[in-house]
Amino acid sequence: MTCNRISLNLALILCIGLPAMAEIDLSGSWTAKNHEDAMERGAGPNPADWAGLPFNDAARAKALSFSQSTISMPERICWFQTQWHIAAGPFSLRLWSEADPLTGKTIAWIVGGWETRAPMTIWMDGRPHPSKNAPHDQTGFTTGTWNGDVLTAYTTHIKSGYMRRNGAASSDEASITTTFLRHGDMMTLTLVMEDPVYLTEPYVLTRSYMLTPTPVATAGPPCIPGDEGVESGRVPHYLPGKNPYVDEMTKVYNIPREAAMGGAQTMYPEFRDKIKEKFTIPPPCKRNCGVAPNTQN
Amino acid sequence: MKNKLLVLLFAGMTLLGVNAYAHHSFAATYLEDQKMTLEGDIVQFLYRNPHSFVHLEVKTPGGEPVRWAIEWGAGGQLGSQGITRESLKPGDHVIIQAVPGRNPEDHRARMVNITRPSDGWKWGGTFD
Repeated sequence: MTCNRISLNLALILCIGLPAMAEIDLSGSWTAKNHEDAMERGAGPNPADWAGLPFNDAARAKALSFSQSTISMPERICWFQTQWHIAAGPFSLRLWSEADPLTGKTIAWIVGGWETRAPMTIWMDGRPHPSKNAPHDQTGFTTGTWNGDVLTAYTTHIKSGYMRRNGAASSDEASITTTFLRHGDMMTLTLVMEDPVYLTEPYVLTRSYMLTPTPVATAGPPCIPGDEGVESGRVPHYLPGKNPYVDEMTKVYNIPREAAMGGAQTMYPEFRDKIKEKFTIPPPCKRNCGVAPNTQN
Repeated sequence: MKNKLLVLLFAGMTLLGVNAYAHHSFAATYLEDQKMTLEGDIVQFLYRNPHSFVHLEVKTPGGEPVRWAIEWGAGGQLGSQGITRESLKPGDHVIIQAVPGRNPEDHRARMVNITRPSDGWKWGGTFD
């Protein structure tokens, strides 16, 4: 009798306990801790600063032709960023799950959106990704799986967008793998972009969040089109060799142009040794010095 | 009580803070180490997200009118500072100090402060 009761208890623990141990609740409002990559997630990156981006010659040429005024073209003002904006933008997150009303099982996790990024629906019900010929949009299509207590989401079918808000582009062939790792009241997201068109190696960014009782919006305020100074029909750009800001950042920080022009080698510590002889300590920074914005905790 | 107020203020700043930056990179859009002064009549006040814009008609030294677009805070950010869509009207004569844009063709700048001499109304501060 005692043995039977122990077996029954063990079976119950296994039945009830296993799913709880494997999955973890991610729902709630999460404040972005923007101390990492503070400049990129704060006032924005400098023009022509692509250090640490593993992009190729085509991506570099495209980035050099980019004028920031492009984003103020009437048809692009309210253009959504791709889901990579979770990594490169400044925003906090709101997460919640949707359950099947009949079974109670979680069929999707939702990462709320903002005025410039659509919500991300992470399908958890095993549905396949659409055909590669299916339409792409900025939202993309995302499926998820639990690996222990880590949620891994895989996004495809995005449109072309930006890897960095200074013209470093991603293509519509790019995919994004996002892992959600919760440690108590903290959560770390690791985002990996792979892009056969513009990247020679995966591009990885992490960022941290803290659970907050202050509600984060589920969708953000609406973007309202309006005249931002670029008249209809004009396409701001720089012709090859004519980007006037190509050496601005290199002069501020006294680093060689080859570092600012990116490429996989600039991601690795060894690259610092390679350019050590070309570097002299710059004077004290006066603007955009990489300090986290004071409105973020 | 003081601590509660601080916590409340901090929470408010956090809420406002997440309303920031995403549209474009300020560093890549503006010459952040420079300032300019513009004086003219308001043509339009776009109180909106992601950022508000004041459109100003400024006369060149030769007397030609040039329309400038001055970027300001998001509607929610300005609202929390008492600025409403009624605060500025077409025809208001104002003086604006701003950070010039990188692309001269755009006639664009980022608001630092604004004064309306007719009634002394002014705003100055930071926004993101």
